[in-house]
Amino acid sequence: MRTTDSDRKHYPRESRLEDHSLMPPCQAACPLHMDIREYVDLVAQGKIMEALAVIRSTNPFPSVCAYVCTHSCEDACRRCLVDSAVSIKAIKRFALEFGGDRMIQTEAKTTHAEKVAIVGSGPAGLACAYYLRTMGYEVTVFEAHSEIGGMLRVGIPQYRLPREVLDIEEQRLIQMGVEIRTNTRVVSLDLLFEMGYKAVFITIGAHQSLRLGIEGEESTGVIDGATFLREVNLGLKPALGNSVAVVGGGNVAIDAARTALRLGSSDVTILYRRTRAEMPAADTEIEQAEEEGIKIEFLVAPIKVSRKSDQLTVTCIRMELGEPDEKGRRRPVPIDGSEFDMNFNSLITAIGQTPQNAAEFGVRTGRGSTIQVDPQTLITNKVGVFAGGDAVTGPATVVEALAAGKRAAQRIDDYVRHRYPIDKNGTVIMDGGLSEHTIEKIRKIERLEPPVTSSKTRAHDFKPVEQVYNWQAAVSEARRCLRCGMGAEILFQDKCASCLTCLRVCPYDVPYVDESGTIQIPAEQCQACGICIAECPAKAIVMRKPSSYLHINEELEHAIKSFNKSEFKPSIIGFCCQYGLFGTGTLANLWRGARAGIWIVPVLCVAKIEPGHILRAFELGAEGVFIAGCGEQCARENTNMWIGQRSAKVRKALYEIGLEQERLAILNTSGQNEDLTAILDDFTETISRLFLASVIMQEVKR
Amino acid sequence: MPNSLFEEKLNSGKFIITTEIGPPKGCDISEMVHHIDILKDAVDAINVTDHQSSVLRFPSLGGCLVVKEHGGEPILQMTCRDRNRLALQADLMFACQRGVHNVLTLTGDSVDVGDHKEAKPVFDIDSVQLTKLIRTMESGYDMGGNELTGTPNFCIGSTVHPESDFIEPQLVKFDKKVSAGVQFFQTQGIFDLSKLRMFMQYSSQFPVKILAGIIVLSSARMAKYMNANVPGIMVPQNLIDELAGVEKGKGLAKGKEIAARTIKTIEEEKLCHGVHLMAVGNEGIVPEIIEMSRSESVKA
Amino acid sequence: MIVAERKPLDVIRQMIAPYAKVLIVGCGTCVTVCGAGGEREVSFLHDELRLAQAKNPDGMHTYSEYTIKRQCDPEFIDLLDAKAEDVDAIISLACGIGVQAVADHFPDIPVLPGVNTTFNGVSSEYGVWDERCATCGDCRLDETGGICPITRCTKGILNGPCAGPKDGKCEVSKDMDCAWVLIYQRLERLGQLDKMRRYYPARNYQVVPRPRRIVVKSNVTAGAENA
Repeated sequence: MRTTDSDRKHYPRESRLEDHSLMPPCQAACPLHMDIREYVDLVAQGKIMEALAVIRSTNPFPSVCAYVCTHSCEDACRRCLVDSAVSIKAIKRFALEFGGDRMIQTEAKTTHAEKVAIVGSGPAGLACAYYLRTMGYEVTVFEAHSEIGGMLRVGIPQYRLPREVLDIEEQRLIQMGVEIRTNTRVVSLDLLFEMGYKAVFITIGAHQSLRLGIEGEESTGVIDGATFLREVNLGLKPALGNSVAVVGGGNVAIDAARTALRLGSSDVTILYRRTRAEMPAADTEIEQAEEEGIKIEFLVAPIKVSRKSDQLTVTCIRMELGEPDEKGRRRPVPIDGSEFDMNFNSLITAIGQTPQNAAEFGVRTGRGSTIQVDPQTLITNKVGVFAGGDAVTGPATVVEALAAGKRAAQRIDDYVRHRYPIDKNGTVIMDGGLSEHTIEKIRKIERLEPPVTSSKTRAHDFKPVEQVYNWQAAVSEARRCLRCGMGAEILFQDKCASCLTCLRVCPYDVPYVDESGTIQIPAEQCQACGICIAECPAKAIVMRKPSSYLHINEELEHAIKSFNKSEFKPSIIGFCCQYGLFGTGTLANLWRGARAGIWIVPVLCVAKIEPGHILRAFELGAEGVFIAGCGEQCARENTNMWIGQRSAKVRKALYEIGLEQERLAILNTSGQNEDLTAILDDFTETISRLFLASVIMQEVKR
Repeated sequence: MPNSLFEEKLNSGKFIITTEIGPPKGCDISEMVHHIDILKDAVDAINVTDHQSSVLRFPSLGGCLVVKEHGGEPILQMTCRDRNRLALQADLMFACQRGVHNVLTLTGDSVDVGDHKEAKPVFDIDSVQLTKLIRTMESGYDMGGNELTGTPNFCIGSTVHPESDFIEPQLVKFDKKVSAGVQFFQTQGIFDLSKLRMFMQYSSQFPVKILAGIIVLSSARMAKYMNANVPGIMVPQNLIDELAGVEKGKGLAKGKEIAARTIKTIEEEKLCHGVHLMAVGNEGIVPEIIEMSRSESVKA
Repeated sequence: MIVAERKPLDVIRQMIAPYAKVLIVGCGTCVTVCGAGGEREVSFLHDELRLAQAKNPDGMHTYSEYTIKRQCDPEFIDLLDAKAEDVDAIISLACGIGVQAVADHFPDIPVLPGVNTTFNGVSSEYGVWDERCATCGDCRLDETGGICPITRCTKGILNGPCAGPKDGKCEVSKDMDCAWVLIYQRLERLGQLDKMRRYYPARNYQVVPRPRRIVVKSNVTAGAENA
């Protein structure tokens, strides 16, 4: 096979292109700023292990988040402007369960002399330990309880977060070389410094329940939520009796109520002083609780408890919503004369928690007994003493704690290494909604809710309530992602001839002409299909994330190398949509089956294939080329039209060069697997015939 | 003082009959001579076409000279397609000097419809400007404003298209031609007399003579072909049906009958000032048709 | 805008056959907009030539490519100097203006045209261009309601229409509107039919002696008083 020795790069300027994609709202909303867009896209492509690598690179305990995260990412997801948010959490869980323990870094070497003490083994503490260890520090985690995990262990019930998940994480940390000392309560920080620790991170959480402050609160049968959950998680079975009341509206209250149900109490009622709209608990939690038969009484608060034999009489008063407080939430105001009694066997209080005994460490505390820290350095009023997590913020989410632990690790590293604690400049965050006409053009697909155990069966044990997606579901759901912020931009305005092609070919009507006559492609509207990039006559448009189309060349070179090594001729190159390969399953057999002589070049939507790619395939030795997209499943309607146009151009070139036009085929993949096999057989036969004919011609010429 | 014999006849009020001959594609003019001989006494004047349909032929001016030599009255068809104003003025001088004093000013069919499609179309001037040009020369000056030694004189005709499906722009052009000095008009093929009547109502305000163009059809197929390919011809469906309704071989006879019928009606009802017979490729049948139109065998 | 069409590949191959090192030069303005000779088309031609070379070799060629903003200004053409060092021929995908300007700049290198420059036209929708201006140098669009009879009438006559139109279409093609029918309709709509009724004398072709030149700067000598 001859090659010309021209000096050519297919895209001369691309070596200077960097990723300047904007941070999508999901990533911005995530306290850990996980690369959500990247891993969701990898799942959509069927590359689960790579998705897992991305997940683990920005989250130290993704398996925990996969079960219990409050997913601010989903709340910020812009797909809900079209139909509903992408099920990011469920997709992440799928990736984790699929990948299992692979792709986990368990090696860590000590490269620094300094050692750091972490007081408390909740998510903030564990995250800090993880990151400090990967940076090369020696780390000791002190935990007062017998098991690590903090609220993860003693607060969250096992039907939400199975025990094994935490155990695995603990093992991993130990394998990394983190020293974990349970049953060790730290009483003096000075002692720690004497022991040689260079810095201390206090992350004792908020385990002290707030008191109701009402008469009879000390009666037998009244228990605070945090204590209740801790006892259950540590294996005890508090006797609650049949009817239980839970006071509060947050996740702890819901957890307590659902746990009581599972322990056997059949009549569980939550008493909340505001309305449903103000309940801080997650909507899914509230829904699942109600499905399980838990009753919720709104606008009611207990004012007195009295015990008579084995019953508690709880005197409640009705509330109404008054003026908003400083956070904007409307204050509940008791309605005079509306007192009434309810009888229960037990009462669980869950109206909030504070850190326990933080002041004992000699650090300054503030509102709600939380530890005060400098927001930039995260240092308390004691030198070398850092704090973070619920101990500083009050009760918050797991992912916020993880983020706090990560940040603390960076700050501790800065402190130990005598660096200024300067935050690196982040990427620009993409904000803005979608215009009506863009939304109209996006194909609507129903969100696939992650499967959940039936409410009838699940309320009797502590088995996990949320199930995991299967492959098809995960990949299909991941394809709904709009890939915000990585779309097209006119990078080379000097090359732009204002020919308006991008405006005219965009399936979503995104580019527009501004007042100065310049063409703009607004990042928040662009759906990253790549059509304008392939059609721009001046090659002035790039994808903000160039890898999504540059990789076509890499894959092509790779395929060529592979078939050069193979003896099987003729070689056929198939440009297949990566999403279709694994998403719809039609092409999956092709990929896995690896028919002899066919080499797949996966592309992220066939709309990105340019005539040059196809010509190059032929030039480098392919005897035949086919294009297989998702057909009717494609996210945009006119991909097939573009493939048709570009193929016509290539076929004309083939004809002018003296090659048969049939060497290029477009496969219709909307049919069944069997049809596709038959079509491929036909095509392979055609190419073999043409190849044979050309070989004979060569012989004849000689 | 009439410029030509033909003009005299035009002004006399008699029913005018003209026809046209297409010169040969080559130097052998024997057939053309033969046609001239049959026609010269049957009609009042004979048009010689100028590369009709942009097909190369023996020049019309040459053909007019041959007509004159053989005792006929020629009308020189002069299109603007092939010659610039210099060549046109020169030809006019030549024509006049040789006794050809009737000219039909035409824009000319597009080069694309002919048999030399790659030729450069000239169209230096259009038919209206050509008419004006002739009148200017008659007043003693050429188009560049220079004095002439010996001025030509012509009876000028042009064409009009009463059956156009969008008549208004055609009428605007007609007005311009009349203002420029056209004296008589030979129309494009007339098939629908009601349209002719309407047109005559309009044109009667001008002192110009209208000769209705009569095309002799020979078959339904020919009619359809002309509709599709010949500029300005629109044979209506009822006539195509009439032609299709006769048995094979009798098409031409039917065509002649239709033509004769039309002529008779026009003459009897004095719809216009005369007719211009176009028997494409069949010039020999013209005298017969004229006879038929005058006989009792054909009803108006 | 100037509209051009890429010449067929075999024609181009024939043109460059005698030359070993060929530089393909694109233009970033008109031919980019009409998709005939911008950077993308330069790449595509390059790809075609290499593939043709591999499958149907006609000697050993090496190709390089470069696109400049415009090929009708010397400052942009200067940027080609480095690229054109020791090439044997340049094939330019610019319009005829660009090809000639580049040829003037490189008198010792054969400069070949890669496109046929066809007309000046408008684009009404993606991928469709229609001729609109014949650059006659004597614009009379005020007289014809903004529709050019010289470009859009196949005969370019000024006292139109001729007898050819059928259904409002020109005798040359059923897809082509008769310009004079359009002019009539437009002038009627504007209430300006009088313009069409006027006699228009023959065109003055003296405005179009080829090649034309326009000089914008005035001839002022230093120290001269206002004339």
